[in-house]
Amino acid sequence: MPAVSVKLEHLYKSFADIHVVKGLDLEIAEGEFLVLLGPSGCGKTTALRMIAGLETVSDGRILIGGQDVTHVLPKYRNIAMVFQSYALYPHMTVAENIGYPLRVRRVPAAERAVQVREAAAKVDLLDHLERTPRQLSGGQRQRVALARAIVRRPAVFLMDEPLSNLDAKLRGRMRAELKHLQQSLGVTTVYVTHDQIEAMTLGHRVAVMHAGILQQIGPPAEIYNDPANLFVAGFIGSPPMNVIAGRLRAGRFDSPAGSVAVPGMADRDGVILGVRPEDVAVVPAGQGDFAATVYSVEMTGLESIVTCAAHTGTHLAEADGVRPDPGDGQIVARMGRDFAAETDGRVGLRLTPDRLYLFDAADGRRLRA
Amino acid sequence: MTDHRAGLWRRLTEPKSLDRMAPLPALLTYAALIAWSVVVLFPLYWLLITSFKLPVQVNDGPDYLPFLDFQPSLHAWEYLFVTVGSDTLRPYVNSLVVALASTVLATLIGSLAAYALVRVRYRVKLGAVLAFLLILAGVVVGVLRFGIDWRVALAAGTALMLLVLLTLAPRLRTAVGNEDIQFWIISNRILPPVVVVLPIYMMFQRLGLLDTHVALIATYTAVNLPIVVWLMRDFFASIPVDLEESAQLDGASRFGIVFTIVLPLARAGLAATFLLVLILAWNEYLLALFLSTADAQTMPLLVAAQNATRGPQWWTMSALILIMIAPVIALTALLQRAIARGLIVGAVKG
Repeated sequence: MPAVSVKLEHLYKSFADIHVVKGLDLEIAEGEFLVLLGPSGCGKTTALRMIAGLETVSDGRILIGGQDVTHVLPKYRNIAMVFQSYALYPHMTVAENIGYPLRVRRVPAAERAVQVREAAAKVDLLDHLERTPRQLSGGQRQRVALARAIVRRPAVFLMDEPLSNLDAKLRGRMRAELKHLQQSLGVTTVYVTHDQIEAMTLGHRVAVMHAGILQQIGPPAEIYNDPANLFVAGFIGSPPMNVIAGRLRAGRFDSPAGSVAVPGMADRDGVILGVRPEDVAVVPAGQGDFAATVYSVEMTGLESIVTCAAHTGTHLAEADGVRPDPGDGQIVARMGRDFAAETDGRVGLRLTPDRLYLFDAADGRRLRA
Repeated sequence: MTDHRAGLWRRLTEPKSLDRMAPLPALLTYAALIAWSVVVLFPLYWLLITSFKLPVQVNDGPDYLPFLDFQPSLHAWEYLFVTVGSDTLRPYVNSLVVALASTVLATLIGSLAAYALVRVRYRVKLGAVLAFLLILAGVVVGVLRFGIDWRVALAAGTALMLLVLLTLAPRLRTAVGNEDIQFWIISNRILPPVVVVLPIYMMFQRLGLLDTHVALIATYTAVNLPIVVWLMRDFFASIPVDLEESAQLDGASRFGIVFTIVLPLARAGLAATFLLVLILAWNEYLLALFLSTADAQTMPLLVAAQNATRGPQWWTMSALILIMIAPVIALTALLQRAIARGLIVGAVKG
């Protein structure tokens, strides 16, 4: 089965008066691994379910391999989906679960057995074929769901937060397995998650959604290094990007806590400066661009996360926050693991000059020189 | 305070293992259990020994212990199976046929209805329902009262209904949802059977089906459908939708999903419902009394008939009741395992 493309044209979905997806346009290339990323309730799962055909489309079109499937029943779309709950059939053995798509397609038993073994081998399940899902661990159940998805060689894989039910350690391993499997099969994949690490590590491209609207789509590095707006900037990155409210005057960003040069920008009020924790350095008091006091130092082993109180400003505390919470005034810096500072000690903060982002405080739009 | 009480309540009510109890509480617990068992089992014991008594022993009563108080006799059993053999076996076979057939039908049809009520969203326009009833009444009156050819009346009625559906119905707002349909189905069971037994009798009389298996099977199926729908709905609702959506994407049809995923997972519920409906059909008396006389007579009627002009025949009645409860006990024992196992299979999470 050669890989096919998936195209969403101006897709809308409303439940009664609630608009969940508002004009989604997406083009997913043959064999591409696209991640739909966003906070819960952003419409990403609904979009995926519309591609699967489990949800009707309020307006717009869905094309798979160039064919309009907007009103085609799920079973004729040649799609396989991995559910968050895995959706394994509890009354069937692993082999029966994997073979179910073939059974309903009336594939002869002998041929079915061969294909089931082939799929099971790809996910390392050959030793467990006669068990029931109840006797398997979370990771093994996940593999059964994957094997069931690949057994009939579908044109498109859809995955709805497939790793979120696993513990952190297993999630990391399954992530690597998933990536390897997708690359070796070359099947077009749409993957929904709210976990930015999964999105960054798995996707060829990442589509960030918020409130039913596509915010930005691009390769992970682009999403990280060149966010289109304040929402994307705040959602991607951990700890999240620091945001400081202020204004632009004579090529400088001014805020009560300090000021930093932003060459080439015109004067304006209502500006938010964004800077990632790794682009903030804690320096002795009196130096740097901002004055602050140390609030806490958290050593993670690899690095120290230094939270400073910048006397005034804003900070995106929560990844899913729409607007920064004004008045929080904390700036987080990422320092080396041997960094040491006294709590409440006065320090300066130096920002890396060419790694500053400016946003319109009113609508979150990125301001560029 | 409330917390403390809840703790006490939990301690009092939580199941304890008899093996790990101190000797005295264990003794008391066993004593209580045995006492209650005696209360529950004594009627069965009494039936058993009464069926082996002679009329004189019953009437002189009470004799409790066979061989000590009285000499057991096969008199009642001989009378039932030798003297009037076919009159005992015919109702027995009738009961088996009627109860099994109606239970299978009710469970099958009721399960499909319950599944549809859980998974398919209905928005039937109330106006369309009323229009249908009105037109139906018009057709019936037209045929019976004014002598219109029934084919003409049916065609006119169908045309009128289509017209209503195409023009008026889309504009109506009040709709009947799943909850309403469900309540309507259950409300059929609220009606006491004695209210409808005469109309049902007249209907089968007109059809010439009185005293046949068909009449009893059809009636029992209809009467027990609401119970099946009501019980199975909860079992179906507890099956994760994910499983069915996954099967849908795997390529299964709706009926394929019902028969390969939903029904196997609801097996425990099916077994329990089947058993309950079977017992209801097996023991049903009132409808059988009206709808059967001789050929289709069922066991409850035969048991009741032992209280005849010669006075109650306790000995034959006891024997009849014993053979009547035997198959139900056997089936319960059989299905018990399916019920227990089904509950475990259904409990898979994640």
